[in-house]
Amino acid sequence: MNKKRAIILNTTIIFSFFLVSLRLTDLMIFNHTRLSERAKLQHVKVEDIQVRRGIIFDRRGRELALNLELESLYCDPENLNLDNDSMRRLASVMAKEPRVILSKIPAAGRFAWVERKLEPDTAEKVKRLNIKGLEFLTEAKRFYPKGELASHILGFVGVDNQALEGVELKYDRYIKTTGGKVFFERDASGKTLSSGVDIEAKGNNIVLTIDEGLQSIVEREIDKAIIKWRAAAASAIMMDPFTGEILALANRPAYDPNKGGSAGGSEKRNRAITDCYEPGSTFKIIIGVASLEEKIAKPDTLFDVSKGSIQVGGKTIRDVHKYGVLTFKEVIQKSSNVGSITIGMRLGKDRIYKYAKLLGVGKKTGIDLPGEVSGWIHPPERWSGTSLGAIPIGQEVAVTPLQMLRAYSAIANGGFLVRPHVVSEIISPNGQVLASLKDKEMKRIISARTAETFKDILKSVVEEGGTGKRASVDGNEVAGKTGTAQIIDPRTKRYSKEKFVSSFVGFVPADNPRLAIIVVIYEPKGQIYGGVVAAPVFRDIADQSLSYLDIPREDNPHHAPLLVSR
Amino acid sequence: MIHTGSGRNMFSFIFKPLFIAILLVGVFGLVYLRSSVMTLEYSLGELEKTKMNYLRERKMLFAEKTSLLSIEKVGASLSGSHGFVFPDRVRVIHLNKQKGSLPYKASLEKRQLTGY
Repeated sequence: MNKKRAIILNTTIIFSFFLVSLRLTDLMIFNHTRLSERAKLQHVKVEDIQVRRGIIFDRRGRELALNLELESLYCDPENLNLDNDSMRRLASVMAKEPRVILSKIPAAGRFAWVERKLEPDTAEKVKRLNIKGLEFLTEAKRFYPKGELASHILGFVGVDNQALEGVELKYDRYIKTTGGKVFFERDASGKTLSSGVDIEAKGNNIVLTIDEGLQSIVEREIDKAIIKWRAAAASAIMMDPFTGEILALANRPAYDPNKGGSAGGSEKRNRAITDCYEPGSTFKIIIGVASLEEKIAKPDTLFDVSKGSIQVGGKTIRDVHKYGVLTFKEVIQKSSNVGSITIGMRLGKDRIYKYAKLLGVGKKTGIDLPGEVSGWIHPPERWSGTSLGAIPIGQEVAVTPLQMLRAYSAIANGGFLVRPHVVSEIISPNGQVLASLKDKEMKRIISARTAETFKDILKSVVEEGGTGKRASVDGNEVAGKTGTAQIIDPRTKRYSKEKFVSSFVGFVPADNPRLAIIVVIYEPKGQIYGGVVAAPVFRDIADQSLSYLDIPREDNPHHAPLLVSR
Repeated sequence: MIHTGSGRNMFSFIFKPLFIAILLVGVFGLVYLRSSVMTLEYSLGELEKTKMNYLRERKMLFAEKTSLLSIEKVGASLSGSHGFVFPDRVRVIHLNKQKGSLPYKASLEKRQLTGY
């Protein structure tokens, strides 16, 4: 009996082991791949490596563009449990109409965005509603902490952080980076194991040549000018005339890059480099420099402008006042059109064209911002009968404010053409300098002697008797030139009698230049002359900027060198 | 000759159970250690998640601070004698280091070559 029981027991045990072995064979051999994949899905969680754009700093290391991490709301339409009451509460929390939210939720599918990059408070409130089928995903959002400041330099990015304008666009390949995937192990309760790798990939940082303080001064002053002169638009640029580093660049109207997508075309236009205008008398630098280089005139060469007008190709060009006989220096100082045209006629078409090109007219400056235009000046063979009466006084040519500033910088720095730029360094996320974008060499375009002589002439423009008197700064000499130009009316295709562009371009301190500045005011009302409208803006910008940079006054009573010991 | 076999008995009596006990303790110890390490790693994972949340919050606060400290905002929020005061340039003197071990010389004329 016992033997029989033992046999039954043994048989049962062996059979059970056989069944277990069979099942194990099925699990471990025949269904191994499928089951191991399933197990992997259950205990391995895959996440995208978060991609962050590099930070943009000003020249003193102040952050101008950085990243926030905000939560985006998405839904799983098939599992969404959104009754009327939940919808009403969700709409109220998100401050949106229920129909707007409903329009984003499809009837079928497993994923749909409800709202991207919610404010943290709103995200918290939505989470508290605890609606089944609504989930959150963290996304990076570009944030410009200074708002409108330097918006035309920084540019902005779209909702998916794709670069759209400014430095963001021009240096996109350095600022952005690629992501990837990271794998986490997780337990049954959803807890994840440490991945041991950084789940954030950062792009390279950019250091601009812009100074937030100077930028702020420039923007404040052109804002005041826009209000005072009820102008349509304005541009101002401040540059180091020796290096081409742009210290400030502002346009009005402007926009907040945090809401770049909703800004209008006019607000987004970087007029300082994308808009051409006829420079008017500021263009007389070409005639002046050419006549000095070609030895057509010296500062004391006399020109009879007593008639107050001159005829060229059947067209009469007049001076604002009748002056009599003027020296070459006075022609520039008083901005005599008749004198300038007379000098232009002595120079001839070819030499005017040659020096215009040498000083950068009709060529892009090469600034590292997108959208720059070249402007234009026709080659001599295309000049009309009236061109010789128009081009010497800054008509029939088109320049950008930056081109004019660059030409005047050549006088300030002793005859070199600089390359304007807004980025000084590219730095890796761990602080290593990857590229320094300073120019090693500069191209000489005019002799040092001509630059020095013309600088003295430009100084006289800001002195008593000059057109730019209102640009003078207490304590430091200014050299510069006023400009007033008519705008062509798009309706009549003729020069408008009401619309003008007023400008002033110059540098300070005149003998030891630190700042080259141009101010261009489009369509001012009430006054039109560059000496009245733009020159005071130049003065206010220069005065505050010199103080900001601690540049000593030249009329300092402590002229004797002071010796101090430590 | 009588063979007592006391040595072999001792081995069987003490060392065998001891060996088995050590083996069992070792196996369970290993399992316990592995499970502890796993728990620790999960805790570490959770802590990393918390760290990421704090880092996110820090980024928000930093952005807010940067925004509040912008020159424009600080200038606008202060007024009168509490606002920004530009230095009186009459009193600005630049010190240039002379060659050698000479004392510093203050110069009002030379261009400052270093950064702003």
